[in-house]
Amino acid sequence: MVPLIAANDLVKAFPASRRLGDMLRGHRPMVRAVNGVSFSVAAGRALGIVGESGCGKTTTARLLLRLEEATSGTVLFEGRDVSALHGQALLPFRSRVQLVFQNPFDALNPRFTIRRSLAEPLRNFGVPDDQAEARILEAMGRVRLDPPEAYLDRHPHELSGGQLQRVVLARALVSHPRAIIADEPVSMLDVSVRAGVLNVLRRARDELGLAAIYISHDLALIRYVCEEVAVMYLGRIVESGPTAEVIAAAAHPYTRALVAAVPVPRVDQDRGQLPIKGGLPDQLNQPSGCNFHDRCPLAVARCADEAPLLRAIGPGRAVACHLA
Amino acid sequence: MEPLLQVRDLAVHYRTAAGQVRAVDGASFDVPAGSIVGLVGESGCGKSTLGRALMGVMPRTAAIVAGRAVFEGRDLVTLSPAEHRKLLWRRMSFVPQTAMNALDPVQRVGNQILEVLTERGGLAKGAAAKRAEELFALVGLDAGRLRDWPHQFSGGMRQRASIAIALALEPALLIADEPVTALDVIVQRQVLDVMRALQARLGLAMILVTHDVAVVAYACDRVVVMYAGRVVESGPVRAVLEAPLHPYTMGLMNAFPDLERAGGDLVPIEGAPPSLLNPPSGCRFAPRCPFVEARCAADPVLVEESPDHHAACWRTSEAPLLRPRAAEAVTWSR
Amino acid sequence: MQSASAVSGHPAKPGAVRRAWGFLRSQPFAFVGIAIYLLFALVAIFADQVATHDPRQILFSGTFRVARYLPPSMTHFLGTTAGGRDVFSQLVYGTRSALTVGVTAAFCVVVLGTLFGLLSGYLGGWVDRLVMRIADVVIGLPFLPFVLVISALTRPSTTTLVASVALLLWPNTARVIRSQVLSLRERGWVEAARVTGCSPTRIIFVHIAPQVAPLAALYGSIAVGWAILTEASASFLGFGDPSAISWGLMLQDAFNNQALSRGVWAWFIPPGLCIVLLVLAGFLISRGSEKLLFPKLGD
Repeated sequence: MVPLIAANDLVKAFPASRRLGDMLRGHRPMVRAVNGVSFSVAAGRALGIVGESGCGKTTTARLLLRLEEATSGTVLFEGRDVSALHGQALLPFRSRVQLVFQNPFDALNPRFTIRRSLAEPLRNFGVPDDQAEARILEAMGRVRLDPPEAYLDRHPHELSGGQLQRVVLARALVSHPRAIIADEPVSMLDVSVRAGVLNVLRRARDELGLAAIYISHDLALIRYVCEEVAVMYLGRIVESGPTAEVIAAAAHPYTRALVAAVPVPRVDQDRGQLPIKGGLPDQLNQPSGCNFHDRCPLAVARCADEAPLLRAIGPGRAVACHLA
Repeated sequence: MEPLLQVRDLAVHYRTAAGQVRAVDGASFDVPAGSIVGLVGESGCGKSTLGRALMGVMPRTAAIVAGRAVFEGRDLVTLSPAEHRKLLWRRMSFVPQTAMNALDPVQRVGNQILEVLTERGGLAKGAAAKRAEELFALVGLDAGRLRDWPHQFSGGMRQRASIAIALALEPALLIADEPVTALDVIVQRQVLDVMRALQARLGLAMILVTHDVAVVAYACDRVVVMYAGRVVESGPVRAVLEAPLHPYTMGLMNAFPDLERAGGDLVPIEGAPPSLLNPPSGCRFAPRCPFVEARCAADPVLVEESPDHHAACWRTSEAPLLRPRAAEAVTWSR
Repeated sequence: MQSASAVSGHPAKPGAVRRAWGFLRSQPFAFVGIAIYLLFALVAIFADQVATHDPRQILFSGTFRVARYLPPSMTHFLGTTAGGRDVFSQLVYGTRSALTVGVTAAFCVVVLGTLFGLLSGYLGGWVDRLVMRIADVVIGLPFLPFVLVISALTRPSTTTLVASVALLLWPNTARVIRSQVLSLRERGWVEAARVTGCSPTRIIFVHIAPQVAPLAALYGSIAVGWAILTEASASFLGFGDPSAISWGLMLQDAFNNQALSRGVWAWFIPPGLCIVLLVLAGFLISRGSEKLLFPKLGD
C-alpha cells in the first residue's frame, strides 16, 4: 500500500535552558525531542504513537503538521516532500491533513460562533460560499451533532467538552482531508463522554477512508482505535507493529513495562513488580548507546556503547533492541 | 468492628453568583479501618468536594449543610474549625489534587517535613530528622533527597513526597484527591504500589478520589460511585465492578477500554449530568438511564441489596436481568 | 429545535447590553470614570448652550469700564479674568480643545501601540527586536521636554501636540499588547488557525486583534488623561496653540496675573480641577476594568 503520509528520519532539537557554566563557556546545549523517527501510514489505516511524557510524540505530530520546522529529516505527503514548503505553497497540504486537538476548551476562538469557526478553513482553502454551507452541515452530521442549527450559532463557552471536541473534529473534516492527526483527543473529557467521541472518530475514518495518526499516553485507548502502534521513548521509536501483537507479546523491554503498568478495570489483574528500574532520565543527560539501558532489566555491556537500530523482526514488526 | 469513618446523608453546598450549587447532596458510605476506598465519578459529581469537606479544607463559599461524618467516634460536621484543624495531619491527612504544587517551592523538601513534625507533632529536632528519613523510606524515596528543592523532583517523586508529609504524624486516614491523574502510567503504577504498601505496613486507611475505574480496580478494596452529588452505589470493589447494581455503574464499565480485551464497541452514555444549581427531583440519572420507569420520578434511597453492597435504584433487585442488557451497545443508543 | 440551555445544560446568558449595565453597577470605579467622561463630553458638545458668554469677548461693565477682576456672581459664575473675559465660558469651551486633543492623541496612541504590539508579539524575530529597541529608546526620552522641543521647532499648534504625544506614548501600549499577544499566540485556537490555513496577517488581524481590543481601549482611556495633561502643560508653558481656548492657557493667564497672591481661586482651581478629573477618570476606568480584563487576579 502506498503510504499517504510518511516521516523520514525526523529530528527536532530544541535549545535547552542554559546554566551559568554553559553560558560562560559559550555552550548551548540542545535537547533532541525527536531523534530520528520514521514511519508511514496508508489511507484507511490508523497508527497510534504511544509513550510517556518527554518521549517526543507531540513534537512528532507538530512536525508532521508543519507547525514546527524539523532540524533534519523529511515529511512526505502523497509521495511528495512537504518539509521545505512555506506559506501559500503549504495550503494544499493543509487542506488535506488536519488536526484534532487535545484541549477542546482551548481549540476554538472564544469570540467566534461555531459556524464561523467551521467556515474559516473553507474560506482559507478557497471553497466557494454556496458549497461551504453544505460542507458545514455535512461535517456536523458526521460528528452526530444533531440538529446542526442548535449548535452553529452558539459560542464555545456554551457547549460541553464532548460537544466541543465533536466541533473540533467537524472543523477538521470540513475541508475533506485525507489524513487526520489526533493528539490526545479525549484525555480532557469525562470517561462516559470519551467513548462517544472515539466512536465518532472511528466511524468518520472508516466512512471516509482517512489515514489517521493518534497520539496518546493511554495504551488501552490506542488498542481500541488503532491497528498499528509505534512506541516512543525519549525521542526514538523503540517498537512498532500491529497493536494486538505488540501488546500481547512485546519485543522491547520498555514496551513490556508499559503494558504491565496499565491498570485494567478488573479486580483480577497482575500486581507484580514492574520490569523496569528508576525514573525518566534528565533530558540533557540521556544515556549513551541505547537510551533505555539504564532502566532495562536485561541490559548488557553492548547496550551502553551502541544505540540499537529499528529493525524488522517479522511482517510489519520492528524493534530497536540488541537482544530482541 | 466500627468503621473508621461513617458518612451519612452529607450535603455540601456552594454559594455562587448564580445561586446555591448543591455539589454534594446526600452522600452515605463507610470507610473501614485499614481499607482503601475508591471514590469514583466524573467531573462535577462532587467527589472532590466531598473529600475536602471531610478534611475541612473547603473554600469559604462552601459549607456542609446537612448530614454526619463520624470519624473515630466524633462527628466532623459538628466540630469547630479549630478542633477540625487539630485533627488535620494528626488523625486525618490530605494530599490535594495539585500535589505537584502543594510543596513550597522555596523550601527544601526535608524542611517541609520537619516543620510538620516539630510544629504540629511537637517532636524535637533530632527525633524529627530521623522520622523524616523513615518517611522517605516508606514512600521509596532516597533519604539523601531530603536536602533537595521541590523543582528538582520529578512529578511522581513530588507526589510521593506529598504523601510522606501527609503521613508524618501517623494519621489513621489519608484522603488523596486524584493522586495519580497527572502522572505517566509507569509512575502512576509506582505511586499506587506505594499506597498499597503503606496500607499493608501501617494499616493506613485511604480514600482515593479518582475518575479512573481502572485505578480503583487496581488499588482499592472498596468503591463508592458518585453521580450528580449523590452516592449511587458502594460496596466491595469486586462486587461493584463485576456485578454492578446501578445502571450508571453498568454504563461506566462499558465506557472503559480494557487493554487485555480486544474488540467490542465502547458504549458512551449519551447526555450529560444535570446542573447542580437546581437539580431535578427524582432519580438524577433517569434522563440518561436506559432502564428508566415511572417510579424513577421519586428519589431512590440507598438500599443494601446484598451484604455490604448498596445501591440507590428502584430496580436493584432486577440487576442480574439488567446487566446483560446493559452490556449491549444497542441498549444505550437513543 | 433545542434551546441553548437544552443543548448545553447551562443557563442562557442575558443580552450584551444587560451584561454591560450589570458590570457597571458592580464596578463603582469604572462607573464613576465613565460618568465623568460622559459629563465632559456633553459639556463639550453643548458648549454653545452651556456657556454664558463668548469666551474671547472682552466684556464691559458700563460704557468704558472693562469688566476685569469681577468676583464670581450670578452673571459670571466664576468671575472674569484680568482681561475682562468670562472665566466660566472659557472653562466650558476649553473642554472642547481638551477632549479633542485628548481623544485624538489617545486614538493615535492606541492605533500605533496596538499595531506594533500585534506585529511584534506575533511575528517575533527581527521585527520584535527592532520594535522593542525603538520602544526602549522612546521610553527613555523625557516626555515634556521632548514635546516642548518639537513644538518649538515646528509651529506650535494642536496638531503638533497630538503628534508628539502619540509618538511618545505608543511604546507603553505596545509593550502591554505585545505581552498579551505572546500568551495568546500559544493558545490552541491560534494553532488551529495555522493548521486550517490562515495566513499570519489573517491570524493577527482577524483572530488575535479582537482579543486585545479591550486592553487597547483601556490604555486608550489612560492615554486620554495623559494627553490632556500634556496639552495643558505645554500651553501653560507657552508652547501650545496661542489662539485656542485651553485650560492650560487659562492657567498661564492666571499665573501671569498673580492669581495666587491675589487669592483669586476662581482663575486656577476650576481648570486645574478639570484636568485632574479627566486624568482620574482614565485611571478609574482602568481600575474598574481590571476585573473584566484580568479575572484571575483574584479579590
